[in-house]
Amino acid sequence: MRSGIRSLLKSFAVIAALAAAGGTLTSFATNYSLWVNGRTGGGQLGNYADFSYWGPSGTSAGVNKKSVNWDGKSHIADQNYLVRNALDCYCTGSNWCYIAVHSAGDLMIGYTLDMYGGSSRYKKTPSPDASGSCSNSDGTTQTGWNIKWVDVAAGAGGGSELANVGAWATSYALDQDLKTATARALYNHNDTRGKIFYMYAGAKGTLYSGILPGQDDEAVAYHSSGGVSGSGGGSYCNPSDWFCNDLTLGTAATEGGTAKWSNHTVAFRDDAEAYNHYTNGNWQGVVSLVRSDMAANAQ
Amino acid sequence: MPSRGRAAQRGHWAWWAAPFGLALAWLLWSWSGELRAAVTPERSASRPGAAAAGASPVGATAPPASSSRDAGASAPFSDAGWQARAERQAMWQQRLVRARQALDAYAVSTRYPPGSRPVSEHPDHVHPDQPIQESIGLRGADGKPLPGLKLVTMQERVFLQGNERVRFTVAVRSDDDGALQPLRIQRASASELPRPGQPMNLAPVALDFTDDGAGADAVAADRVYSSVLQPATQGFATLAGGIRVQVWLEVRSQPGTTFFDIYYTPKPPATWVASASGIRESVDGGSLDFFLKLNVDEAGRYVVNGRIDDAQGKPFALVTFNDELPAGEQEVRLSVFGKLLRDGKPAFPLTLHDVDGFLLRPDVFPDRSLLARRSGMVTTSRIYPLSAFADAEWTSEERTRYLTELGKDVSIAQNALSGAAPPKGP
Repeated sequence: MRSGIRSLLKSFAVIAALAAAGGTLTSFATNYSLWVNGRTGGGQLGNYADFSYWGPSGTSAGVNKKSVNWDGKSHIADQNYLVRNALDCYCTGSNWCYIAVHSAGDLMIGYTLDMYGGSSRYKKTPSPDASGSCSNSDGTTQTGWNIKWVDVAAGAGGGSELANVGAWATSYALDQDLKTATARALYNHNDTRGKIFYMYAGAKGTLYSGILPGQDDEAVAYHSSGGVSGSGGGSYCNPSDWFCNDLTLGTAATEGGTAKWSNHTVAFRDDAEAYNHYTNGNWQGVVSLVRSDMAANAQ
Repeated sequence: MPSRGRAAQRGHWAWWAAPFGLALAWLLWSWSGELRAAVTPERSASRPGAAAAGASPVGATAPPASSSRDAGASAPFSDAGWQARAERQAMWQQRLVRARQALDAYAVSTRYPPGSRPVSEHPDHVHPDQPIQESIGLRGADGKPLPGLKLVTMQERVFLQGNERVRFTVAVRSDDDGALQPLRIQRASASELPRPGQPMNLAPVALDFTDDGAGADAVAADRVYSSVLQPATQGFATLAGGIRVQVWLEVRSQPGTTFFDIYYTPKPPATWVASASGIRESVDGGSLDFFLKLNVDEAGRYVVNGRIDDAQGKPFALVTFNDELPAGEQEVRLSVFGKLLRDGKPAFPLTLHDVDGFLLRPDVFPDRSLLARRSGMVTTSRIYPLSAFADAEWTSEERTRYLTELGKDVSIAQNALSGAAPPKGP
């Protein structure tokens, strides 16, 4: 009997240890899905539950989704603290993040990783205050953030010719950053610090075909949404267009030999010209593809 | 056959064991719940059926819909159950592909540290002085497109400092035959680029765009019009910020317009020590390090890039410094990582050239104050045998952290996949 009790106590100890381990797993090692908006913004700054830029907040968009809202109007540099705050909150310590970005959100996350990706970050407890800042967890630091990969919908990291010609009815300071020459000189797009950028490129654009070279989604052309390197924007198309170099899938150089930025891979090319740039407040356009991918793989 | 006494003992045992059994059952149920949560993502509002309309490489498409999963879960050997398991397997297969991609890309990318990279990874940073050439549909002064005409522009750079100049060119090309068109520059000006809604503090300055083969213009009468701006001497000596150069032109009797933006630093936040004592090199920790002395007036995060060529002038590496520097005389270390040298086998001596950099100003615009550019050759290394350098991959807490986590994701997907394999079909 005594040995039976002993083995029972042993079992209890094992159970307690496992329970503690389980508790640790659920309490401290958590994955998050961070969504970084593009031009125009709309969500309340620092309110990670406000998905008004994207669509209904109840929509599935990756595990523990958070909306990293910036105003979508100011210079990238001016608003960058909001993104760093979010990354500090949710992507440090034992917590890890998947990132999804739209349009100028590409410029924002690329800038963040290149400029600050190797900086020392305090590990945070993921309980933000009203401004979106989190308190330090244990006072220790780490280099950079914990990011598994980045999904990019209609990325404007390479700028937009609409900014080159001042085509938007409302002018923002951000538009100066979105000029193609400026966007491409703003930071080193090849420096993702080892993270893959999955590029989703739409081609349902007609309105600005005289301005945006090659295929476009009505706001950005393939040279940007496909992550094509170079100091200025080029003209890239779907394979069905014989008179224009193809935007290739994956990481391969484009037809014509221009390299993509390092660690940038074209995950989706809109051969059917079915996706435009706009979310329409309902996770639409190219964002619908990234949302599906996040729902499936950001877990 | 058990005795009656032993049977009674078992009864006691069962009494003691009941709460632990319950606890164990609860734990298992909780964990299976977590596993279920991991397997079953938040329910999608709309599945990407249309995703099939485009082209996607492996690992980039969304998984099949999970609509039949719950129905099948209650009857695992029914058709619906088989279907649910097949869908689950497809989902985990996709996650496994994604997890492997993340792990492999990270492992390969970080064989060398972020500040010491093969130049092949940075094709658009090999020649920092390469002019930026662009072509865009020409638009009239009213903003409407002028059909059949492309505006062809060039600007030497976007960011400049001190006494640097920047050259611009403008031409118009016909879509029909590609020929450059005769054009007339109506006027051009450079003006401060304020934030929208903010007033300008400096008066605009008129610029001349010419096609006479003199000054800024390379070739006379080639229909490419050129101008040059030196902010320090043309009215912008006090401006730390943006300058917009606007050009109004006329082609085929139609007015058109374009503009260029540049960002200017009048006074550098730190100055290079240009004498021979301002540069040294050493082999430390198996890597080749170049140290450049910098007198820092303004403390902060400095970002400095340099290019490394081999003895034949073939581009080899991009080296970067990105760290905080206090005020005073400091050294910027540009390191060529040992394994990068061992793998790339460049011919020595190596040349460090075209060093540029800036003080990064967090959360303000302009976000940078440029250092003086060190164009051309900065220093040439001594000659070393490759054996002088380490052949080990980069190690750091950051890399270990990533490889551990991303490797764990691969294992989770592999384990889930082996558990989610559907039964063999009929």
